[in-house]
Amino acid sequence: MNSDRVIRKEEMEGKLSRAAKKLTSSPIQELSHLAQRCNAINLAEGFPDFPAPIHIKNAAVSAINSDFNQYRHVQGICQHLAKMVKEMHGLDIDPLTDVAISCGQTEAFAASIFATIDPGDEVILFDPSYETYQGCVTMAGGVPIHVPLDPPLWSLDPSKLLRSITERTKAIILNSPHNPTGKVFTKDELETIAGACCSRNCLAITDEVYEHITYDNQKHISLATFPGMQERTIITSSLSKTFSVTGWRVGWAIAPASIASAIRNIHIIVTDSAPAPFQEAALTALRSPPEYFETLRREYQSKRDYTIKLLAGVGFKIQFIPQGSFFLFAELPDDCPLSDVEFVKKLILKAGVVAVPGQGFFHTNLSSDEVSNASCNYQKRYIRFAFCKSEATLSAVSEKLGKLLDTEGRLALH
Amino acid sequence: MRRVEQHKWDCKFFMFGNWNEWYLAQGYGGNATSFVQVRQQRQWQPPQRGWLKCNVDADFHNGETITSRGLCIRYDTGQLIYARGFSSLLLCNLVAKRLEKFRPTIFTQMSMLAIKHEAISLGQGCPNFDGPEFVKEAAIQAIRDGKNQYPRGYGVPDLNVAIAERFKKDTGLIVDPDNEVTVTTGCTEAIAATVLGLINPGDEVILFAPFYDSYNATLSMAGANIKSITLCPPDFAVPIEELKSNISKNTRAILINTPHNPTGKIFTREELNTIASLCIENDVLVFTDEVYDKLAFDMEHISIASLPGMFERTVTMNSLGKSFSLTGWKVGWAIAPPHLTWGLRLAHTFINFSTANPLQCGAVAALRAPDSYFVELKKDYIAKRAILVEGLKSVGFKVFPSNGTFFVLADHTPFGMENDVVFCKYLTKEIGVAAIPSSVFYFNPEEGKNLVRFAFCKDEETIKAAIERMKKKLKK
Repeated sequence: MNSDRVIRKEEMEGKLSRAAKKLTSSPIQELSHLAQRCNAINLAEGFPDFPAPIHIKNAAVSAINSDFNQYRHVQGICQHLAKMVKEMHGLDIDPLTDVAISCGQTEAFAASIFATIDPGDEVILFDPSYETYQGCVTMAGGVPIHVPLDPPLWSLDPSKLLRSITERTKAIILNSPHNPTGKVFTKDELETIAGACCSRNCLAITDEVYEHITYDNQKHISLATFPGMQERTIITSSLSKTFSVTGWRVGWAIAPASIASAIRNIHIIVTDSAPAPFQEAALTALRSPPEYFETLRREYQSKRDYTIKLLAGVGFKIQFIPQGSFFLFAELPDDCPLSDVEFVKKLILKAGVVAVPGQGFFHTNLSSDEVSNASCNYQKRYIRFAFCKSEATLSAVSEKLGKLLDTEGRLALH
Repeated sequence: MRRVEQHKWDCKFFMFGNWNEWYLAQGYGGNATSFVQVRQQRQWQPPQRGWLKCNVDADFHNGETITSRGLCIRYDTGQLIYARGFSSLLLCNLVAKRLEKFRPTIFTQMSMLAIKHEAISLGQGCPNFDGPEFVKEAAIQAIRDGKNQYPRGYGVPDLNVAIAERFKKDTGLIVDPDNEVTVTTGCTEAIAATVLGLINPGDEVILFAPFYDSYNATLSMAGANIKSITLCPPDFAVPIEELKSNISKNTRAILINTPHNPTGKIFTREELNTIASLCIENDVLVFTDEVYDKLAFDMEHISIASLPGMFERTVTMNSLGKSFSLTGWKVGWAIAPPHLTWGLRLAHTFINFSTANPLQCGAVAALRAPDSYFVELKKDYIAKRAILVEGLKSVGFKVFPSNGTFFVLADHTPFGMENDVVFCKYLTKEIGVAAIPSSVFYFNPEEGKNLVRFAFCKDEETIKAAIERMKKKLKK
């Protein structure tokens, strides 16, 4: 190390912004590192280990070769999205004004938050929730307010939602199909949320990245289709999950013109442009025929069914069958004395399989009067398994778990 | 004659500009070719039917004033006051206050004008030639090899190593690829993550004008208290006394761009030493944007992080785009000691999560390019610079020396126009060449009104053609 570099760590840590100090780094990423070190089979991070569709990869290769490599905004993406949104949801949007292209849904969401949330604004999140939402809201100076969904079916109790809305509530975040539970919000629940937004004059920001991954003939319904909602909803989504290209970073936000414009302004400040060759490839992706989406659904459904059978077979409690996304939120058996974190550590070390302890998805409100340790015990009993993996991977998991079964055929990790 | 008509219920409207042409002005900014900043409105009431009749005084961005009737839209805050078709003022005040200071980018305006008039663009800093094959091949191979999923959030491990290797070669500093290097979506995102991760609302940050317009926007978004110090022609030297009187223990950070856009200045060792000692004395952080470091022609590029006592307080940012003519790939990075890296990585995680995997793989090949690549690159750009500078001089511009980047600033006053924006619009429309008015790079536009920025990141034929057009038609 260069001896000139005297690092005064504590003083320098004081240089972090207040917002950054409140944030902690991603627990999902840390587990991935442990799993990598142990060479564990990764059922934690939500990305496929099978190849992306060839027609889309070819489009990207072609774009790079055709010199689509300088700053660009590919308006064609907006046209295709307008068409898809009309076909899927019956919504009319103006591709010239209502769409902001972004670097993945992550950036669309961050830009949406920065475009609409002022310091002190309250933002409602449904718990359990993907860890990034809260971090983003906090960074913008907003106050996250968590409304718990009720286990075991993760249903929304309207009174809990309505109780949480105050005059400072600016937006409600809705992720459906839902990570980590795989829930697809029902029409009634969506009506409740829509009603609350309209009557209390809030925005809705939706994360619909799993919109094309639904099961048992369930259809994903966008919150924006409810009366009075289109003018107050920001829809965010991306190519990543639908087209198995989580590493390409092309996403979008769809919103009324004034808000889309504000989102675009933030996007220009933060990254300026999504990767050019992948924007070009997005045109091909978004033109995929209906058969592509049917196959996607069918294949993920069979992976879901395999995984449920496997995990239920070794003793996990699965009271809620995922209706969308590629996650299964499985409960530890009642007689398992371990917490979710302890269990996953053993799973990595003994079985060579990694999943995500559910507690990272649960949050408590700082100023909540309702926190009671007993009623929140369930928050340490869930493990999230991602089944967006090849058949070979899932079979390998079955084999590994198979070696650790007790006489009753249940997983014994002690 | 001036007239405003409402075009659609969602507040788009057309206005006649002062040269009798239609401009699409979008009430909320973004992709407008020109826009209206409504400064004063008279009393109005929602009409029972028909058009809203209301007189407002409106300024065009370049300072022209017209009187118009029609919609009342507060452009700068996106606050809709009234629009036909809405039954309530639903959309008022939805946009966050942090956008209040945001000005729409001049680049969009000028680009659209250039396209409209088929002008040769020497405006935006975007090459009209492509990146090297070996880099593109590496990215293509990565796509075929299946590197299409989320990479590690702070960078593909190989790329972090390649960045550290390159940094050692360039500065002599040894950095830890895993704890001191973060890959970002272009240098733009490196700046955003650094500012959001390390700057609090109200923190004082020093900026040198003229500045790349995203610095101001990002710092405003973070609520920083910005102090601007102007670099003046002819040599754009750092005004040391002014800097000394502005920097204090209250200063959180100073942002430096070297080689410098738009002046082409390269901060000298003396200047950097002075800045360094002031920063150490007052405990100030330094954020440096060094994207043009490979385009340092007449003198050596120096990274301030390599000066004694500076690494521990500096975030050094760079990207692939300019060195490898791949501006649309958006692969950049920030090098900083662990305690600063931690803050910018957190912000990066929440605003972007990770940068495109296959393109990072392409970047690995790029950063390991042999020295000959960079020698050729410099040679090429020096030749282009000569064509442009000699050409501009022969047309009658006063050209300021540019030691680096692919930009050159020129004084347009010999041609008798009142300011840079008027000149650039005239140049685009009547002469068929697009340049960027430099007043947008200053807090006080007056400081830049004599200067326009030309880019020479174009093939030689294009530059020559632009000079020809100006020689033919641009008269003093």
